[in-house]
Amino acid sequence: MLAVDTPQYLPENIFFGIIAFIMVVSALRVVTTRNVVHAALWLILVLAGVAGNFILLGNEFVAVTQVLVYIGAIVVLFLFGVMLTRAPIGADAHLDNDQRPLALVVALPLLALMGYVLWDAWKDTKITEAGPPIVASTSVLSDSIFKTYLIPFEAASVLLLAALIGAIVLARRD
Amino acid sequence: MSSLAAVLAQAAPGLTAGPAAAAPTPTITVPDIEWTALLPILVLGLGAVLLLTLTSLARGTVTRSGYAIYTVLVATGAMATAAPLWGRVHAWDHLGKWELSPPYGPFSAVAGAIGVDGFSVFITLLIGVAVILGALLADDYLRREGIDGPEYYVLLLLSATGGVIMAMANDLIVLFLGLETLSIAVYVLAAIHLKRVQSQEAGLKYFVLGGFSSAFFLYGVAMVYGATGSTNLVQIKDLLAVKVPTHNALLLIGLGLMLVGLGFKVAAVPFHSWSPDVYDGAPSPVAAFMASGVKAAGFAGLTRAFLLGFGQFASDWQPVLYFLAAASMLVGAIVGITQTNVKRALAYSSINHAGFMLMALQAASPKGVTGLLFYLATYTFMTVGSFGIATLAGRTGDGHHDLADYRGFSRTNPALAGLFVLFLLGQSGFPLTSGFVAKFGSIAAAVDAGSWHLAVIGMVSAAISAFIYLRIIVAMYMAESDTEAAEKAPKAARIKVPFGAGLALVACALATIGFGILPNGLNRVAGEAEPVLVKEPVPAAASGADGAGLTGLDLTTIPTTPTTR
Repeated sequence: MLAVDTPQYLPENIFFGIIAFIMVVSALRVVTTRNVVHAALWLILVLAGVAGNFILLGNEFVAVTQVLVYIGAIVVLFLFGVMLTRAPIGADAHLDNDQRPLALVVALPLLALMGYVLWDAWKDTKITEAGPPIVASTSVLSDSIFKTYLIPFEAASVLLLAALIGAIVLARRD
Repeated sequence: MSSLAAVLAQAAPGLTAGPAAAAPTPTITVPDIEWTALLPILVLGLGAVLLLTLTSLARGTVTRSGYAIYTVLVATGAMATAAPLWGRVHAWDHLGKWELSPPYGPFSAVAGAIGVDGFSVFITLLIGVAVILGALLADDYLRREGIDGPEYYVLLLLSATGGVIMAMANDLIVLFLGLETLSIAVYVLAAIHLKRVQSQEAGLKYFVLGGFSSAFFLYGVAMVYGATGSTNLVQIKDLLAVKVPTHNALLLIGLGLMLVGLGFKVAAVPFHSWSPDVYDGAPSPVAAFMASGVKAAGFAGLTRAFLLGFGQFASDWQPVLYFLAAASMLVGAIVGITQTNVKRALAYSSINHAGFMLMALQAASPKGVTGLLFYLATYTFMTVGSFGIATLAGRTGDGHHDLADYRGFSRTNPALAGLFVLFLLGQSGFPLTSGFVAKFGSIAAAVDAGSWHLAVIGMVSAAISAFIYLRIIVAMYMAESDTEAAEKAPKAARIKVPFGAGLALVACALATIGFGILPNGLNRVAGEAEPVLVKEPVPAAASGADGAGLTGLDLTTIPTTPTTR
């Protein structure tokens, strides 16, 4: 599966191994730690690992987006949520509940399905040459934003403006 | 060079050993921007931003009704910029003294994302009308409830911007963004009465369910993209014309999910359960806009996506629309007659109307589109009129909407009661009102398309739904008022009709009677407002092009020879 065994890709392979190890350990800590805030912090490591993998694939734009959106916005939102809802933050014995079998029923088939899809798509394809990149580079992306998707790009800003005004209208008190 | 090194080289050229070649400055060729086509959107959107900016700079110095007048002017401006587009679509070279520039005929602009045809211009005008009526109704309402300010009008204009984007969308992403802009503004509008718990509840309910439905729509778009490789309706149509997609199931699932999302916005059964609660809880002028503007935009989205983009798949989606139409008409009528709250009854009646419009749409024919547009146009006036009466009758607090509150309304407020009767009879499809012609057009389109059973269901549901309206009329005219004081001194309980709301009500009444007695003009305009998908680059229709670039439904032949008006 997508093993890259030409010598020129050796650094990527080494870094991938390191990042993958960190991600798996952090992901396990997210669900085993007894402190909600720690769980959120471990999650940052997992998400940063994803960003690192995108850099290894040569797609810096998605990597930066990953950092900005997931680490910069979503985890911060989690932390704010925790701060606002659980005043004394500390180790909590009741984070876990007895739904583990049910979670397993969901998680295992999902793992199997995604694994199968990956295997089915790539089989034992190997990247041997530095051919054209699999993922589009930032310049291609920016080109399509300002060409094909110019109107969607502008319309999205109108949408965000509407959401911003709406949030202020609802939240302000006077 | 490995990809990691490539990234490093891009990020910091100094790090890599190779000489950083002096790359030529990259240029992006931005697509031609057809500003005139975008003008209605720009006027509405910039109008909203300008209102917000000006009022925050000059807080407290705005004259009475200033916001409403401004909103009416902006909406009128947007409609005025849409008028030349109508002329160009129909290949007029003049509009009055004003010379219209080519391209003539329907065209698409800005990299094929925006489609201008008779249909989109018609819906744009309709949304403009809904904004004007919504602003007129709200003017006194907001002051009465002590929540006056620019916010309502800003959100109304932004919502209309989203609606017009939807009406002009030639790309599913644009359609989605328009849908979201429209919806988010309306979620807040529903909750804008911050002093009323029901309003807050309505906003939250609408937001949560609406968020779900938008997600459904987006998921559907993703599926369609997976099956066809494009989100552009023109490209999708071209692709489907030459080959059958291999992932047919993917495409059909995508279409189904998109239908769920849009069905929610137009409140079609079984995606309707939000609408009675939200219409009841939301401020009455907002409910009026939701029933008119939002519904028009929703049907515009349905028409563009299904009739235009997936016209070839009509045999797949027609049965589904058939079911939605039948269910909406029957559930709207039958559940509607059990309601004891006037706003809830009006909500169910609007579900019933959505069924009639779906019936016209499922015909998938030029006659069906004409019927749909005629229905939308006349229904806008009738429903805004009805909710306008509810706005006034709700009195301060917007809480007097029970059927019991309308007892003896004819004696305390004879003029308002008379207008309400007109709007209600119009909605029931009484002859000589616009509702009759609209229902007739919709049923005729269904019969022409061979949907006999659906047409019969429609007629039966119209008969049942008449009971909803009769119940309100009976309460107003035949029941005694609850309070003896009101009985003895009817003038004391008279509602003072403010100028703006009065103007809106009179306009709605004139439209309801006018289009009922003389429907031909509107019918002709609706007939000329055919939806067409056109490829970019624009065909040079000015030199008598044969419409080779048209990939539309071929609803009718597009007039290509310039005619002078």
